[in-house]
Amino acid sequence: MTKKLTRKEQRGFRADQLALGPYSLWAVIFILVPLVFVAYYAFTDNNFNFTLDNIMRFFTSTSQVLQDDGSSKEVYTYLVIFWRSLKLAVISTLICLVLAYPLAYIMARAEAKVQKTFMTIIMIPMWMNFLIRTYAWMTILQDTGILNNFLGALHIPLVHIIGTEGAVVIGMVYDYFPYMVLPLYSIMAKMDVKLLEAARDLGCSSAGVLRRVVWPLSLPGVINGITMVLIPSISTFYISQKLGDGKFFLIGDAIESQYVANNLHFAAAMAFILMVVLLACMGAMQILTNRHTEGGK
Amino acid sequence: MNKIIELKHITKSFDGEQPVLKDINLNIYDNEFLTLLGPSGCGKTTLLRLIGGFESPDEGEVVFLGERINDVPPHKRSVNTVFQKYALFPHLNVFENVAFPLREKKVPKEEIEDRVHEMLSLVALKGFEKRNVTRLSGGQQQRVAIARALIAHPRVLLLDEPLGALDLKLRKDMQVELKKIQQQTGITFIFVTHDQEEALSMSDTVVVMSEGRIHQIGTPVDIYNEPVNAFVADFIGESNILDGVMLEDFKVRFSGQTFVCLDKGFSLNEPVDVVVRPEDVDIVPVEKGQLTGVVTSVTFMGVHYEIIVDVGGFKWMIQTTDFVDVGETIGIELEPDAIHIMKKSEFSDLYGDYSSFSNELDELSEAEMEDEDE
Repeated sequence: MTKKLTRKEQRGFRADQLALGPYSLWAVIFILVPLVFVAYYAFTDNNFNFTLDNIMRFFTSTSQVLQDDGSSKEVYTYLVIFWRSLKLAVISTLICLVLAYPLAYIMARAEAKVQKTFMTIIMIPMWMNFLIRTYAWMTILQDTGILNNFLGALHIPLVHIIGTEGAVVIGMVYDYFPYMVLPLYSIMAKMDVKLLEAARDLGCSSAGVLRRVVWPLSLPGVINGITMVLIPSISTFYISQKLGDGKFFLIGDAIESQYVANNLHFAAAMAFILMVVLLACMGAMQILTNRHTEGGK
Repeated sequence: MNKIIELKHITKSFDGEQPVLKDINLNIYDNEFLTLLGPSGCGKTTLLRLIGGFESPDEGEVVFLGERINDVPPHKRSVNTVFQKYALFPHLNVFENVAFPLREKKVPKEEIEDRVHEMLSLVALKGFEKRNVTRLSGGQQQRVAIARALIAHPRVLLLDEPLGALDLKLRKDMQVELKKIQQQTGITFIFVTHDQEEALSMSDTVVVMSEGRIHQIGTPVDIYNEPVNAFVADFIGESNILDGVMLEDFKVRFSGQTFVCLDKGFSLNEPVDVVVRPEDVDIVPVEKGQLTGVVTSVTFMGVHYEIIVDVGGFKWMIQTTDFVDVGETIGIELEPDAIHIMKKSEFSDLYGDYSSFSNELDELSEAEMEDEDE
């Protein structure tokens, strides 16, 4: 644009910038500055001298774990924790996706009234405190909890869930499910019904329509949903303590415990590494979907 | 000619409301360019969707090449559709949009390439293969949609007001091109529009509909020259529709005068509707006129003037290339072939008088019509 701006346009610009001011300030104070602090702490020691020790400690520190046969094995403490966090987060995210995708699709095609009802049902748990929800799951899943009482009454063998990875996954799926449904629903509600009709018209069976039109067009929503579930679930720290009986130390727990122990620099280093890994994942996914959703291949 | 589609006694309503289609009977022949013409809300799009397989009739039969297909889903019909707003897949480029039906049929790669290129050259889009469909102009998107709908060699192509979103010039070009494509491919086209000019200029057969019923089926010339009732006469082109009495064969009386006409077969003194097209009225000096009237308005239309003439209280529209002035008294002469006689119908007194006519009003109501289609 080489065209000179008119007075009015210039004034418009200034007004826009002025309106953005408070938000920019907010973003700087509450997003940018804390991030800079995290990075600063991650790369400094207690005397605020530059060091890579904290970062290195994450990758190198080891500890002994007791194996089933009684012997002990040396493992990389934080890499194991990180791997476990990643595994549980990915499993939870996939379960959320598999459950939410059909629900979102059905909701988006339903009558307006049904849509509203479903939306309310999905949102209601979010009005309750996260801690209370987690405690509720404890009472359900305990060995002597509601679920086992119910199974016992029906003379079905009891199940042991609390304190397993499964319990942690259930907790995470329950807590983060709405964050998966909402972006999927919003993209599917926007999808042009004519496109689905066109696909049918051009020879697609229902499965074909889903695979060749609905899925590729919903990819941005899928990516948003994955982002919104994966990130909080990978860094969660409370669910695992309560539902996992504290047996499954996750990266969030590790950061919390270091922080509580006033080990701010190491806590910052772990947070920093987590952030870098997540950013890299998201970046890769964004590139992949762009290739799919833009017209030209 | 082979019958390709038969619609028998089709009735359709939505959610128990007033039926949108009432007892529709229609035969569609092979290699025909057929247009469903009517104002918005007349049921023409619903009829198209019944043929495409997106709706099924409450009563009646859709027959395709002798087979009842009421419950056959769209993807199993040899019928493809060009949608109103094209419905191109935004995640696929031009090539992949056109190749879409072939990929579904697992056609070999080389054949797909050949057929897509052939189709793109048919619609004059060679070299656009890699383009993003969302960045094409309306006319180009239109062509992609046509290519995509034709590539699987359907027996019938359905077009749902495909030219509605294009500007006038482009629309004219596409009309010619669509007609050419239809003749080249030999595929039956069923075209839906509310634009009577479009219907007349493109079709072999025009089906005039309103309020869920078919009024007339015929060639464009038939429909224009021999409308069956006041609705058709008014909807297709401009018409002066007057109350008349058929005195005997070839003799009709209206506006206080007796005229010679070419129509017969009415009972003696039967009340009838008399249609006179504005371009068939001759303006003559007052003393020579069969009727006389005062010019109340003159509008320059480019090719001709459109004048409104008050003849004993009834306002005639006349199209003439001679200039007359407002307030002038003129004579009117009608040749026998300028007069068309129709039986009285429920539409008789609704149309045909230009007393409240203004171009502005006409355009307004047309704009409203298009809005309703959204």
